[in-house]
Amino acid sequence: MSRRRKRSPGAQSQPPGVAPIGGAGPAGPLPRAVSPGGPKPDDLAVAEKAAPEAGHDFIAAFRRALSSASPLLPEGGATGAPMMAVIAVMSALAALALAGMLIIAIATDRWTDDLAESMTVQVKGVSASEIEERTEAALAVLAEVDGLTDIRVRTPEEAAALLRPWLGDAAGAYLSIPALIDLKADARGREALPAIRANLAAISPGVTIDDHGKWNASLTRAARRGQLLSLGVFVLITGAACAIAAFAARAGLAANADVIAILHLVGATDDFIAEEVQRRFFVICLRGSLIGVLVAAAAMFMLTLGAQVGGAESYFLPTFETSPVTFAPMTLVPITICLATSLTARLTVLRSLKEAL
Amino acid sequence: MIVGFENIGLTYEDGSEVLRSVNFALRDGEFRFLTGPSGAGKTSFLKLIYLAHRPSRGRLTLFGEEVTDAPREALPAIRRRIGVVFQEFRLLDHLTAFENVALPMRIAGVNQAHYREDVRELLNWVGLGDRMEARPQTLSGGEKQRVALARALVSKPDLILADEPTGNVDPEMGEKIMKLFVELNRLGAAVVIATHDLHLVKALGKQSMRLENGALTQAETAARSEAWRANA
Repeated sequence: MSRRRKRSPGAQSQPPGVAPIGGAGPAGPLPRAVSPGGPKPDDLAVAEKAAPEAGHDFIAAFRRALSSASPLLPEGGATGAPMMAVIAVMSALAALALAGMLIIAIATDRWTDDLAESMTVQVKGVSASEIEERTEAALAVLAEVDGLTDIRVRTPEEAAALLRPWLGDAAGAYLSIPALIDLKADARGREALPAIRANLAAISPGVTIDDHGKWNASLTRAARRGQLLSLGVFVLITGAACAIAAFAARAGLAANADVIAILHLVGATDDFIAEEVQRRFFVICLRGSLIGVLVAAAAMFMLTLGAQVGGAESYFLPTFETSPVTFAPMTLVPITICLATSLTARLTVLRSLKEAL
Repeated sequence: MIVGFENIGLTYEDGSEVLRSVNFALRDGEFRFLTGPSGAGKTSFLKLIYLAHRPSRGRLTLFGEEVTDAPREALPAIRRRIGVVFQEFRLLDHLTAFENVALPMRIAGVNQAHYREDVRELLNWVGLGDRMEARPQTLSGGEKQRVALARALVSKPDLILADEPTGNVDPEMGEKIMKLFVELNRLGAAVVIATHDLHLVKALGKQSMRLENGALTQAETAARSEAWRANA
């Protein structure tokens, strides 16, 4: 079946003049656009698709998203400002979840690393002299062990300061406060922990060593759960954004049924229409998610400023800090949300158009 | 053969039968008017040709290939060979006149650099050179008609269908539009025009066929059946 238009037997090589339909102008030839001989749209499109710059449909849609051509589907409705606002909110939540996951990870790693290296010897006694005597004996035991460094006895004032939040300023006046010896242990020192514990117990049952293992394990577990929770929230939000995109895409199709019908009747494929919708969602979600991430970054900065801890708490609790590293994962949010929602919209449209057949 | 109807019937979902055992053949370069009273099925007849509807019965061929049960994926390529001037224009309100005319080219994936001048020339030619950036809601009925006409022609279709193309324009403009169709037909495009305007039909001296109650008149049906057999 030939695509080339046949000419009538009597047709001339140059079309005769036909007055412009508008009426006012002089008689003139048929426009080149409808004169025979030139390539047709499909011929031109095939030639362009054969060019090296032609790419995958998705990339083509992305390129069109950045083009200045007017969208073929009307803006507004379910796929307009309301959609952008919803995506902004969801992106902000997703960014907070993602940043929270990373901040917890960094803080937990730093805190557990510090805690894993440190040990504390507690020396109890009924009187200050007894405590002092047992402390000297304990220091002698520790001095004989390889792998222990930074052995330091906390002053009574420092020990009292640790109790002050619970017992108040007068704690030292009526209590015999145990002495505390801080130390750092490397791998050899940690291997010697059972022997150290036995030798200290030999001084007195009131001399004990704590490697913070119980704290470390339980807090690490809690931190990991927090991270998983953050990741789960991020995945759920992304999934919810996709569900909203699917709903909005269906609503958009229903609202623009006439436009879709016209596009079909002038030769649009389902893929072409799906790409138009994908382009629309990509642009809207990019705008929305960038707004959401900026809001989340500002909120994160303010929250971490308010969450700085000091004093005794800094010894027991991990500190939360913001840095370029903690903001970096937020950049994943617009990418993830845009790709997930625009792809969802595309697939939804393709399925809906096929169902409508 | 450009279009072939063989015992085509069309029944809508509500049970109304709009076309009954229609036989019709349109060969390359033919020009045909389709007349008949309102509700006779003229628009449905055209809708079958541009594949907005599928026949309920019979066999439909377009450009020499049977398309009665053509898969959905095959329809766009066929539709791109047909230029349609819809009765109600069917322009996209959010696009300018220029963008509406360029729509078939854009859908075909042609770079704007390749069609920009053609579209401008075509709009100038239909007398809308100064209305290229106007949106349909600001155009008169006649201007919309001309934009729709330019859109139907821009892709150099092998087959042009027009549903009451002079229904919204004054007689002088209607005559010019009809002469344009005749000229395009002379250049090789097959043309089918549904119209009430019997004056224009007679003035142009082209073949016509009449639909009544969903069936072509007996004489036309017989003539077409003969043509069908000759082409088969």
